[in-house]
Amino acid sequence: MTAPVDELGPVRAELLRAARAAADATLDRARADAADTLLAARTAAETVLAQARQLGEADGAKEADRERVRAAQEAWETELAVRTEVYVALRAEVRAGVRRALAREGAVARSHLAHVARAALGAEAEVRAAEQSGVTAEVPGRRVDLSADALADGALDRLGARAETLWGPP
Amino acid sequence: MSGPVEVEYTGVRELRGPLVVVEGVSGVGWDEFATIVLDSGERRHGLVLEVDRDLAVVQVLEDTAGMNRTGTRVAFSGSPMRIPVGAGWLGRVCNGRGEPADGGPPVLGGSYEAVGGAPINPVRREPPNEPVLTGVGAVDVLTTLVRGQKLPVFSAAGLPHLELAVQIAAQATCGGEPFAVVFAGMGLTHADTAFVRDGLATRSAARELVLFLNTADDPVIERLLTPRLALTVAEHLAFTEGRHVLVVMTDMTAYSEALREVSAARGEIPARRAYPGYLYSDLASLYERCGRIRGHPGSVTILPVLTMPAGDITHPVPDLTGYITEGQIVLSADVQAAGTYPPVDPLASLSRLMRKGAGAGRTRADHPAVAAQLIAALARSRQVAELADLIGRAALSPTDLRHLDLQDAFRDRFLAQGTDEDRSLDDSLDRAWEVLLTLPRSQLGMLPADLLDTHAPPRYEER
Repeated sequence: MTAPVDELGPVRAELLRAARAAADATLDRARADAADTLLAARTAAETVLAQARQLGEADGAKEADRERVRAAQEAWETELAVRTEVYVALRAEVRAGVRRALAREGAVARSHLAHVARAALGAEAEVRAAEQSGVTAEVPGRRVDLSADALADGALDRLGARAETLWGPP
Repeated sequence: MSGPVEVEYTGVRELRGPLVVVEGVSGVGWDEFATIVLDSGERRHGLVLEVDRDLAVVQVLEDTAGMNRTGTRVAFSGSPMRIPVGAGWLGRVCNGRGEPADGGPPVLGGSYEAVGGAPINPVRREPPNEPVLTGVGAVDVLTTLVRGQKLPVFSAAGLPHLELAVQIAAQATCGGEPFAVVFAGMGLTHADTAFVRDGLATRSAARELVLFLNTADDPVIERLLTPRLALTVAEHLAFTEGRHVLVVMTDMTAYSEALREVSAARGEIPARRAYPGYLYSDLASLYERCGRIRGHPGSVTILPVLTMPAGDITHPVPDLTGYITEGQIVLSADVQAAGTYPPVDPLASLSRLMRKGAGAGRTRADHPAVAAQLIAALARSRQVAELADLIGRAALSPTDLRHLDLQDAFRDRFLAQGTDEDRSLDDSLDRAWEVLLTLPRSQLGMLPADLLDTHAPPRYEER
């Protein structure tokens, strides 16, 4: 007696093989999909990261620019304030120097200043000694100021851009 | 002691508003500069408005508040107002009289120049040439500013002309050549002056800017000086120091109103809308100080900004300005209402010297053709929009509909720009192309075929 032949064996085997093949294909597709999704997600993440980095860099650059301008402005304002101090100090020095010079023996005599004032206003001008040094002269309606401070201020104004050597490069 | 003795006049007959009437003077001339010393030692400055025999009428720049008839001394300089000139002005911020407003010492210079300026010998003038690029697409492409040109901005109250003036002053360049901006603000509010100082901080920090700021509460005669100071400084920076200088003057209507007020104080016969009859020649004496001079480096380009009262372009100030200047950039309330900045009306704007500053070797070879075609297309678009209002959009032809699309594309893609966006000329021209290609090729007849072949995409005709 021979063993019963399993006539459905090949069918079963083929169905099993087909099912396994289909399962493998589905698995491969799923793996590929997963890989694609992962890749897309990574790419998207990289793009977002790159955009964020760009935006951050742009913001940072703008802020750095603003900061640089602010710093430059502050430095310039400080420099201008110091220049003013130096200029005011120079004016004070020049005034003091002119007062000392006029007070010194043998310097420009008050009589010479009175002569200059009378030449401008006429012989009838009333000449007075100025508070600090020098003279002022007056006729009705007109006046000449030859005080030490006025002479010093006039000299400093005539100095013009040469005063910039105080803060300019040597 | 050197120099002539300065005689001070003490006979003050009258103090009237901003005027001082001095008696007993001799040898004093009209427009002479005067120094006024108060009893307290405070020094003020003035200009001679009128001389009659031994009487001189002096307008005090700082006003007469706090002055007394006795104890006030007036000294006349013997010449119109002069200021020191030189590179020392760069980076400085001054008031409308040229006095420091930045905490620094007085601006010093190697030489002095009269603020009234000296007329340029006409035969030594060089025609304007080469562009000043502003970084504002609508200006650079459609109304190119040329070195040595005077191109005003016509605006109206409520429009962002100050923003545009500041943006242009902050961004303008001359192709890498030495450049400077002199900004003269007249009749500005304190908020406006703060806006101007902030907006131009970068340029100021680079020592490429001189800022004169006259505020609305400053005496009016000072407002007449401000543009003259700015131009005197600019002329020296340009023609002696070799820089290309852009002078932005805003607001010229405030200047003209100051001129009207001073004219009334002088008792002159008023002309149109009470402005003095010499308004035209006075404006010309400012605007004509721009240009290039043969044998001298540098150039002075002027961008005056003026507001048209009630938007009236026939008002004396825009009207007379238009006679003197070489075109205009017109800002439109309609464009502003659509939310677009800068609200430039391209069809009302024009730069008469644009051809001298645009094209191959200056900007880009396709620039003049693109600008001309864009203006032509926009004119057609405006006609189509009016037609659509009458007959309805549905009755328009496909080509007409494309023209409506072009109008939108122009506003959104070309005209609209951020207030701090410095747009390159290439970018602006590329955007102009993008707008033009809204139309079929048959509608772009002003563009040479080779340019169209280069810029039109391969499938362009299928659209």
